[in-house]
Amino acid sequence: MSVHLVNHHHGRPDSTVHRLPAALKLGVALVIIVATVLVPIHWRAWFIGVAVLLVLTAGLSQLPLFFLFRRLLVLSPFVLGVVLVNAFQPTGRDNWLTVAVKSILCLLTVILVSNTTPFSQILRVLKSIRVPALLITTIALMHRYLFVLADEVERMRRARASRTFTRGRRFHWNTLATVVGQLFIRASERAERIYDAMCARGWK
Amino acid sequence: MHIPDGFIDGKTAVVTAVISAVGVGFALRQVRRELPPRRVPLLGLAAAFLFAAQMVNFPVAGGTSGHLVGGTLVAALLGPSAAVVVVTTVLIVQCFLFQDGGVMALGANVFNMAILNSVIGYMIYRMVLQLFRRFGRDALPRVLVPQSGIGPTYDRGRVTAIAFAAWCATVLAAICCAGQLAWSGTIPWLVAFPAMATVHMFIGVGEGLISALVFLAVYRARPDLITETALTDQPQRLGELVRYGLLVTLGVAVFVAPFACSWPDGLDSVAEKFGFGHKMAAPLLPAPAPDYQMPGIHWAVGATAVAGAAGSLIVFVLALLMGRWLVPKPKDL
Amino acid sequence: MNAAIEITNLKYRYHDGTEALRGVSFRIAPGECVALLGPNGSGKSTLLLHLNGILPEKLSGDGTVKILGEPVAPKNLETIRRRVGLVFQDPDDQLFCPTVQEDVAFGPQQLGLGDAEVAARVQKALAQAGLADFGRRATHHLSHGEKRRACLAGVLACEPAILILDEPTSDLDPRGRREFKALLRQIPATKLIATHDLELVVELCSRAIVLDRGSVVADGPMFELLNDEKLMLEHGLERPHILRHQHPH
Repeated sequence: MSVHLVNHHHGRPDSTVHRLPAALKLGVALVIIVATVLVPIHWRAWFIGVAVLLVLTAGLSQLPLFFLFRRLLVLSPFVLGVVLVNAFQPTGRDNWLTVAVKSILCLLTVILVSNTTPFSQILRVLKSIRVPALLITTIALMHRYLFVLADEVERMRRARASRTFTRGRRFHWNTLATVVGQLFIRASERAERIYDAMCARGWK
Repeated sequence: MHIPDGFIDGKTAVVTAVISAVGVGFALRQVRRELPPRRVPLLGLAAAFLFAAQMVNFPVAGGTSGHLVGGTLVAALLGPSAAVVVVTTVLIVQCFLFQDGGVMALGANVFNMAILNSVIGYMIYRMVLQLFRRFGRDALPRVLVPQSGIGPTYDRGRVTAIAFAAWCATVLAAICCAGQLAWSGTIPWLVAFPAMATVHMFIGVGEGLISALVFLAVYRARPDLITETALTDQPQRLGELVRYGLLVTLGVAVFVAPFACSWPDGLDSVAEKFGFGHKMAAPLLPAPAPDYQMPGIHWAVGATAVAGAAGSLIVFVLALLMGRWLVPKPKDL
Repeated sequence: MNAAIEITNLKYRYHDGTEALRGVSFRIAPGECVALLGPNGSGKSTLLLHLNGILPEKLSGDGTVKILGEPVAPKNLETIRRRVGLVFQDPDDQLFCPTVQEDVAFGPQQLGLGDAEVAARVQKALAQAGLADFGRRATHHLSHGEKRRACLAGVLACEPAILILDEPTSDLDPRGRREFKALLRQIPATKLIATHDLELVVELCSRAIVLDRGSVVADGPMFELLNDEKLMLEHGLERPHILRHQHPH
C-alpha cells in the first residue's frame, strides 16, 4: 500500500461530514459494517439503503470521486477470485454476489470515515473505549513516524540505486536488504532519542 | 493476505476477534513486564519500520516483486510478544488509514499475521537454533567456543533458522486464512487450501530470504540492538510460549482441523481406486465443504499436502545452504 | 549569586572508549546568551546532554554539573529538567505527538498542571513561537521551519529558566533563520546555543565558548573570539564576513 494513497493534501476539504464528531462517525460506521456482514443477501432493502446513505455521504464529504473509485478498485482482485471460484458452484451466484456487495459497501464506509476524520481523533475514540494505553502509544508513534521512515527508506534506496551499476538480481537483493537493515538501526536509534526527548520534558 | 470485510462471516469474525483479543492482551502484558521504559518508543518505531520496509520492492522476475511481511523478522529481533504488538499495530493502522484489510476482519488478520506468524515463526526459529547448538558440524566443545554465541556456527544457524521459520510461518498463516475463508463459506476449502498454500509456499521463499538477509545486516552492524537473544540454553520464555501455543492450537483447531479431518475424502478416493476402501473415522466437526462436483479436485488437496511436506524439506536444505553461503567459515577456526 | 550553569572538569567517554569530553569547565551567569562553537565531532551535543541529566547514562560520570547551584544527580532530575529546556538537534525526535497542540501540552502535563493552566501555557507558547493557528495541525505535515518552531514552543511551555539549543537553525532557509533568530531575541531566559550559524552568534550572543575535541580552547567575549581569525581557522571555524564591516560596541 503506497503511502501516497493517503489523502493528505493540504487543501483538505472541510465539509459537514468532516466536522461531525469522530465518535459518531466511527460508531455509525461500525454499526453499518457489522450489520452489512450479518444481514443475509436477500434483504435487499438493507443493502440498497446503505448504498444510498454512503453515496449521499460521499457527495456531502466533497472527497474527489476519482479518488474514492480508485480506492474501491483495490478490492477487484479479491472479488474476481471469489467470482471465478463460485462460478462453477450451484449456490455460486449467491456467494459471489454476497461477497461483492458486502465488501464494497464495507470498504466504502471505512474509506469515508478515515478520509474525513483526523487520525488523532480516531485514537482518542479508541482510548475512550479502553484500548490499552501501551497499544495506543505504539499506534500513535507508528503513525507519527511512518512518513518519516518511509521517506528515509526512499532516500536510502535512491542513493543506493545511484551507485548501482550492475543489473544482477542477487546484488540488488543484498543492497535492498542492507537498506532495510539500516532502516531498522536508524529506527532504533531514533527511538532512543525520542525517549531522551520525552525525559527532557519531564516524562517519568 | 489482508482479508477485506465481507469475505468472512459473522461467526468467524467473532471467534477470531475473541482469540486475537486474548492473544494481543497477553502480549501487551508480557511486553509491559519485560521491556524497560527506555525501549517503549521502540515498539512504535519498529511498527513504522515494518510498514516502511514492506514498501520496498524486491524484484523477482518480469514485473513482479517480493515484499517483506516481517512477523518472524521482528520476533527474531525483539521477541515474540513485542512482535505480536508491533504487527498488530501495523495491521490496525493499515486498516484504518489505508483501508488495507477489513474492520470486522481485523480479528482474523491479527490472528494470522500478528499472532500465528510471529509466534510460530519464533518457535521454529528457536528450535532450529537449538538444533545447530547441538548438532552443528563445526560445533566445538564448550570450553573452546565463547558462550556469547557469536561465531560462524551460530551465525549460520541464525540465517538458516530465520529463513526456514519465516517460510513455515508464511505457509501456516496462509493455511489458517484459507480455513477462515472456508468456514465462512466464501471459498470452499478444497479450492482455498491448495491455492493459498501453494502460492504462499513460493511467496514464503522470498519472505525467508529477505528476513534472513535483513536480520544478518542488523546483526553484523549493531548486534546490541537485537534485544532478543533466543539463547536456547536458557529456559526463558517457556511459560510465554506455552500460552501462545495453546491459543494458536485453539485457532488452528477451529479453522483448519475440521477441514483437515475431511482430507480422508481426498485420500479415500485414492484408497478406493486402489481397492483398500476402508473408511476413516468421522471428523470431529461436520465438514462444511459440500461435495465438490469437479473431478480431480480431491487430488489437489492431497497433492498440496505432499507438496507441503516435500517443500519444507527442500526449503530447509536451501536455508542451510544459504547460511553456508552468506556466512563464510574463517580459515583459522 | 549562583551561576545559571556551572560545569567543573567534566569528562565523558563513549561506549567504544573514545574520549568525548576531556575536562570541560565554564560558568554561565543568569541572563547571558552564550554560543557554543566547534567543529563537527567536537562534543557539543554530548556536552549539552549533560546539562539535563540525560548523560551520563549511569549517572556516575566524572566532574560536576550544577544548574542554578544544584548539582545534577539522580534524585533531583525532575527539578533540573523543569529549569532546563533542551531543544534537540533533530526536530523529528522531539515532536513525537500527533498534533502540535498535544506536543506543546506534553511538557506542562508532565509538570502536573491542571487542564486550564496547560491550555493557557500552550496558547502562550504557540504565540511566542509564531504558531498561533497551528494547534490542530498534524506534526508530520509541518515544514522544517515550522517543526523547529514547534519544538521551541514545546520547550517554552515549560517556562524554563535556562534554554539550551542544539543547532537550532541548521537546514533552515534564510527566511526561516531570520524568523527563528527574531524569536530567540524575545526570550529572556539564559541561553546556551550550540551552532555553526556564525551570523546568529554575532546577532544574539555576547559570549562564545569554543570546543574542540572535547576540550574548551577559548572562552571569552564573542566579538573578540570571532575576530581572531587564526583561532577560528585552527578549530574548524572561520571569521564571519559580517564582522569585517562591524565595529565593537
